[in-house]
This record gives sequence, structure tokens and C-alpha cells, in this order.
Amino acid sequence: MEIFFQQLVNGLTIGSIYALVALGYTMVYGVLKLINFAHGDLVALSAYIGLVIIMQLMGALSPTVLIIITFIATMIITAIGGVILERAAYRPLRKAPRLSAVVSALGASLIIENGIMLIWGPMPKIFPASVIPNANYSLHGVYISLMQVLVLIISLILMVALYLFVNRTKLGTAMRACAIDQDAARLMGINVDKVIVTTFVIGSALGAVGGLFIGMYYRGIYFNMGWIYGLNAFVAAIIGGIGNIPGAMLGGMLLGIFNAFIAGYVSSSWSLALTYVLLIVIMIFRPTGILGERVAEKV
Amino acid sequence: MKRKGLVGLLALVVTLLFTVSAFASGYIKIGVQAPITGKFASEGQSIDKAVRLVAKQVNEKGGILGRKIKVITCDDEGKAVKAAICARKLVDAGVIAVIGSYTSTCAEAAEPIYYRAGVLQTSDGTSDTLVKHGYWTFFRNSSPNSAEAQFTAEFFLKKQHYKRIAVISDYSTFSTNLAQAVIRDLKKMGGNVVYYGKIVSGSQNFTPILTKIKTYHPDVIYFSGYYTDGGLIRAQMVQLGMKADFVGGDSNDNPEFIKLAGKAAVGAYLIDVPLPNMLPYPAAKKFLKAFRETYHENPASIWTLFNVDGLRVILYAIQQTKSLNTRKIAHYLHYELKDFPGITGPISFAPNGERVGSAYMAYRIGPDLKYHIVYKEK
Repeated sequence: MEIFFQQLVNGLTIGSIYALVALGYTMVYGVLKLINFAHGDLVALSAYIGLVIIMQLMGALSPTVLIIITFIATMIITAIGGVILERAAYRPLRKAPRLSAVVSALGASLIIENGIMLIWGPMPKIFPASVIPNANYSLHGVYISLMQVLVLIISLILMVALYLFVNRTKLGTAMRACAIDQDAARLMGINVDKVIVTTFVIGSALGAVGGLFIGMYYRGIYFNMGWIYGLNAFVAAIIGGIGNIPGAMLGGMLLGIFNAFIAGYVSSSWSLALTYVLLIVIMIFRPTGILGERVAEKV
Repeated sequence: MKRKGLVGLLALVVTLLFTVSAFASGYIKIGVQAPITGKFASEGQSIDKAVRLVAKQVNEKGGILGRKIKVITCDDEGKAVKAAICARKLVDAGVIAVIGSYTSTCAEAAEPIYYRAGVLQTSDGTSDTLVKHGYWTFFRNSSPNSAEAQFTAEFFLKKQHYKRIAVISDYSTFSTNLAQAVIRDLKKMGGNVVYYGKIVSGSQNFTPILTKIKTYHPDVIYFSGYYTDGGLIRAQMVQLGMKADFVGGDSNDNPEFIKLAGKAAVGAYLIDVPLPNMLPYPAAKKFLKAFRETYHENPASIWTLFNVDGLRVILYAIQQTKSLNTRKIAHYLHYELKDFPGITGPISFAPNGERVGSAYMAYRIGPDLKYHIVYKEK
């Protein structure tokens, strides 16, 4: 039984990170119907930015203040990066065919990835060990570290906050309106450009938290890690139903847990392949994802 | 048939010609084929420096068979095409032996040319295909992966007495081959491998597979992949409260391993060929001292020393056979040389040109985060 709970903890930790990154994909898709392929690389970039901030400020501040400042500053800088991305790569193509925007997204992804390599080099960078105290708890044979607890709690808080923002605030309502019909939203006096920028800001900032978790929990970051995390998060968004915010959270968690249980109870060598088999099965029965709604085709 | 005979005759004549020209010039010419420029420049330059140092030392003592040694260097840039050009250049220059190259690719590209010209060649290349061509001119002076597997199995069963062994590799050819070779050798010696699984390199989250391995209660986890994953595996083992030892293959030997694993690195074992300054042999201490005094730096890596050992052993064979006939020298190296006191340990060659034995060592990372030798061959 403790193995079951251990795998659950393993799965939830990585699942929270997938979920945070998946939110960026799903929010942008919801509003723009565009897969932002550069999102994964933005997450990788945020990890590098966080590392630079930590290395600059370490020793000068107390650990708690350092962590808070690092999170806030990295979220802000990455959000700015997301806005620049939208301005430079997507806005000029908003009226262009869908495929042009996809190519532009892939191009932006390559630019960020190679930019990171040129600035920080192709070798992995490593987060210092002492940022988060290396505490480890054992509950009846189930091990959980302080970092894992932080990942789970902060992710949960952010997701609840996002859910409330989208469903209870004016801007959130505008966002949902844009997702349903941009033209109608504009006719109702909603500033669509502002909503789109907000979407990118929130998506990128949440991705930045994911990137920082990767750096602080796994410690090693690579210039091309955006690809593997982006792919998993993208899959998570699809499982949950792309465009659906609670769906992305659920998808991320499920992907992490599936992966852990398949590795634990079936075969670790096959865990990735079997996870995708499961994805295909879900797609067969629920083509729009678990929480995705059937969207009527516009004619 | 006739044609074949003619080619054979021609080769013989050419061989004789070069042997004669080597005699006639008054010098014993030794070639260095190494990547002096390009990606591996530091390794190539270090090999060239080391070879020239040995030549200088020998010349100061009056040379060999009354002749001085002359070193001729050719830069292969680590590229196969350049390697072939270098091989022809060095053969034309009348060398009797070539040291190099650093990369397996370049050594292999040059092999047939030296073979046809009857010029001896030694290389540190680790690729197992190097000694599979049946060229009598080629000597591999290195520690191949098959030797690492053998050493690992011995370390596990004879020194550590592990009873339950778990093995992890990634999906790369190198890592899976090494893991499978280790498992094969362990089973041959009666070891008990309870688990073998693969991870996706770079996926970072290894807690699921480690939690699964925990249910097998192994006393050691062996990982044959790279340090970027190995460091995380070690850290996550400790995080999951696993008491099993961690042993990493040669690709885990990188300073980043310790940085990634953090405090968890303490107590981990690594298996690799030693760093130059860890070689316990008297020849090594002497040579390193001379190298530092001459060039005010350390050799780039252990591979420099493997290459220079190739030269030392050939010079020794020339002295013993009192001959510059490469056939005679090769025969001596293949069948008569036993445990020559090399910089990288005792040297003997198998009839296929493969060095016998290996220089592998097992290190334990201590609380000071430094390597401590815990096991070595012989």
C-alpha cells in the first residue's frame, strides 16, 4: 500500500508541473485557437532566468525572501517575454491562415531554444542545492520532501486562484467571452487585444512557476528541456480537453499519475509508450478530452 | 589471381622500400595523427606534446639502436576524410609507426592505409570495431567497454558482495550495450540481477521507476547512462529513502554529477578509467612530473597517456627485437611482450591487437565530495 501512495506522490508532483505548463497551452488555445508551440521553451527560459536571479541574490537575502523575490521577478520577466512573443510572432498573423501561425509558433520555439543555448551554452546548468532546505518526511514508509510539498501546495493555490479569476472577475468573464466568439465579444465592447495580452501574461507567469519548480526540484536544467516538458504538458491539455482550464489541471495530474503507475505496476521501459496508448484510448471515446465540450462547427 | 599476386608483390616492395627509407634517413620517424585543431584540439595537442616529450627523453639518452627519433605530426581535425589524407602523408614521409588518432572514427579511417603500407599504428579509440578488421599493424591501447563490464561485475561480486542487483540504462546504444554486457558478466559469475529497466534520458522524473525498484529490495542500483540522469537518480534515491548503493558507469564521471546529486552524492560509487593524477604506477608519476616541468600544464586527459604508452611500448619492442622491421616488432608485441610497465598500468596485447586487461577503477565519493579509490584491477 505504501508503494501505491508513494507512486501517487511521485505522480502528483510531476503532474502539478505538467498542469501549470498545460494551463498556458490551453488558455491561449481557448482564446486564439492557436497551439503556442513556443510555450515549452518559454518555460525553459524562465528556469534560466530564475537561476540567474538566484545566483545574483544568494547570500544577500534570507532564503524565504530570496525564494519569494525569485518567483515574483521570474514570473514578471517571463510574462513580459510572453507578451513580446504574442506581439512579434502571433499578432501580425492573426488574420492569416491557421497554418501560418503554427509555423510562426514553431519558429519562435526554435529562436528561444537556440537563444538559450547561445547565451548559457549547451551544457546543463545546475541550481544550487541550498535554495530550498533539503528536508525529507516519512509517513508510514511514504517519503515526501519539503520541495514536493511546496510544489503541490503552490500549484493548488495558483490553480484555485486562476479558476476564481476566470469565473468571478470581469476580465475573466471577458476572457471566456472571447473564447466563445471574438467578434461578438468585440461588439459587446470588450477590448479583445487586451484580453489576449492578459491571457499570455497569465499563461507565461504560470509556466514560469512550472519552470522554477523544475529547476528547484530536479536542479538540472537544459536549453532544450522545453521540448520534453512542452510535449507532456500539451498532451495533458489535450487529455483534459484543450481550451478548458480545469481540464488542463486534471489532464496534468492524470498524466503524471498514469506515468507513475504504469512505471510502477506495468513496465518502466514502456511507461511513455503506454501513456500515449491511454491518451489515444481517451481520444477515441472522448475526442474533445475529458472535460472538453462538443463545439459546434462554425459554418 | 595473377592480379592479386601482383598487388601482393607491389605491397611487399612498397613495404620494403619504406623500411629501407626509414633506415637510410638516419632517423627513426614516428608519426602523430591527432586532432590538433577542431573540437578535440586540446586532446590532440596534448597527445602531440606527450609524444614529443618521450622522443626528446629518448634522444637525450642517445636514441634507439643508435638512431634519433624524429616526430612528424599530421592534423586530422577529428574528421575521417582528413584522417585518410594524414595517413598517406605520414606513410609517404616514411614513418615506421603512427600514434593516433584520438577518435575511433579517425583511427578506423586510417587503419587500412597503414596496414597496406606495413606501418604500425596504436590508438586509444574505444570502439570495438577497431580491432575487428584483422590488421596486424593495429594496436588498440585503451580500455574498451567490454572491459568495463567485466570490471564492474568483479567489483560487484568480489569486493562488494552484492546479493540483489538492479540495473538501469537509458535508450542509447552505448548505455544499453554497457548495461547488457554488465548483466551478462554478472550472470556468468553467478550474480543475482533482480531488475533491469530503462529510463528516457532527460526526463528528470525517475521516482516512479525507483519506487518500483524499491519493491525488489536491491542492495545496489547500477546505472550505465550519463551523469545528467545519474546525478538525479542518485538524488531521488535518497529522497525516496532508499538505502541501496548507487554505482554509475564511466559516463557518470563528471563534476556535474556531484553538483546535481548535491549531498546525496556522498557514498555513491563511480567506475571509470582513472584521472591522470590518480594513476598509482611509478612510470605514471615520473612521466607526469616531466610533462608538467616541460609544458607547465597537465595532460588533457587519461587518453593522452594511453597514446603515449603506445609509443613507449613500440620503442621498447624496437629495442628488444633490435629491428626496424614492423613485422618483427608487431610479432613481438602480439606474442612476446608481457606486462610492460606502462604509465596506464601493465601492458600486454592479444593477437588481435587488443590490449589485455584494463585500467578501470572504482571510486567512492566521500563526505569531502572527492573521489576515493576503493577497488582496482590486480
